[in-house]
Amino acid sequence: MSNIFTTSNLSINGIHYRDLQFIEDKITFLTGPSGAGKSTLLKLFNGMLSPSSGEVYYLNSNIAKLDTISLRREVSLVSQELFLFDLSIEYNFREFYSYRGLPCPTPETMEKFLKLCCLDFPLNYNCSKMSGGEKQRVYISIFLSLMPKVLLLDEPTSALDSQNSHNIFENIFCFCKENKISVIVVSHDKVLADRFSEEHLKIK
Amino acid sequence: MSSIIQLNILQFSLIYLLLIIVLAIMKRAKINQTKLLLLGTVRMTVQLVLAGFVLTYIFANPHPVFTIAYIAAMVIFSIIRILNSNKWLNKSFKIAVSLSLTLSGVFILAYFTLIVVGVSVFNPQYTIPIGGMIIGNSMTGITLALKTFNESLASNKSRIESLLNLGATPKRILLPYVNSALETALLPTMNSMLGMGIIALPGLMTGQILSGTSPSTAILYQIAIMIAITTSVCISVFCSLHFGYKTLYNKQNQIIS
Repeated sequence: MSNIFTTSNLSINGIHYRDLQFIEDKITFLTGPSGAGKSTLLKLFNGMLSPSSGEVYYLNSNIAKLDTISLRREVSLVSQELFLFDLSIEYNFREFYSYRGLPCPTPETMEKFLKLCCLDFPLNYNCSKMSGGEKQRVYISIFLSLMPKVLLLDEPTSALDSQNSHNIFENIFCFCKENKISVIVVSHDKVLADRFSEEHLKIK
Repeated sequence: MSSIIQLNILQFSLIYLLLIIVLAIMKRAKINQTKLLLLGTVRMTVQLVLAGFVLTYIFANPHPVFTIAYIAAMVIFSIIRILNSNKWLNKSFKIAVSLSLTLSGVFILAYFTLIVVGVSVFNPQYTIPIGGMIIGNSMTGITLALKTFNESLASNKSRIESLLNLGATPKRILLPYVNSALETALLPTMNSMLGMGIIALPGLMTGQILSGTSPSTAILYQIAIMIAITTSVCISVFCSLHFGYKTLYNKQNQIIS
């Protein structure tokens, strides 16, 4: 088994991490108390933040030496705070893809990923009419449809209603395993972690 | 057409009586800005009196150095005002703004005086008033553009962060805000052109006509200055924003503002 991310003597803004290894192609849950630096670690993994000292390695390359745009296209961070345009689902897919320099995905592709996240809206449905949980799922489905190599989920359950969340994650994690997408989830949801995690890292 | 009537101090001071009306209305409407009105009037009076003395001296003793110094002072004060209204700018951005205002203002001013009017750029009677209008309006345009740009960045934080996470380039993310700030800065000038001359005569024309210039000459100057102002605002805002926004992100494509 090889490592997707490793850290070495990593510290940033007063947070010091013990040396960590994240295994490739696994569903890893990252848990720990508030303020321990879990979300910060995800941002270090996609180059949104840079370490104060120490190194972060992605597939054995030092992230500081990588082109962060290419990195972010392989390592997708789905942040806790989402953003969607107040227009149709289709518009959102089109705009996000256009920011990536890609043509709009086919309706079949869009529907496939919406279905994966247990969403049953027509593509012309206006996102501003959706609940927070539904918007979160559209957001995840857009990022997932871009088929990253790594999916980083930061507190994905915070906006989802818990009835649905286990079904949704069942689908998402299954899909990721089938397509060899490594997943790292930051979550305080013990039940979710117990049910789905293949690896479990704790940060204090 | 006769030349302008010279005001004596007594005649002139009668205009200040109108402020009594303003003060009375402000008091009636419970507007607590008496201090601002008085401060504004006093500062305006003092500053313009000083400017008057300086200009009188310069016109009586014309020398290229004086003209250059006056224009330089206008540019420096304009830059200070822009930077004071926009304290959020980082050092490199400030340099981009300062250079943009200076170079575009000076270029348009030189074009106007040298090529359109056909006098030496050191002629204070032309360069100083025209320079004041070009530089002053560019300053206003840049200040407005920077404020608009900063506000749109602040109110679109989650959009910007999401798109960065997506792997979009900072350039692609920020450029729409840059272009819309430029548009916002240009609109007032272009809109004022639409109504120009219909009811009120604009300032430059008014001054010229009062001094005895024929209207046919005055309108040519007015049209020319409007186009010069529009161009200078456009160039200086464009350069400020297009060189400036690149200072907002680093080699790691992290937005650092």
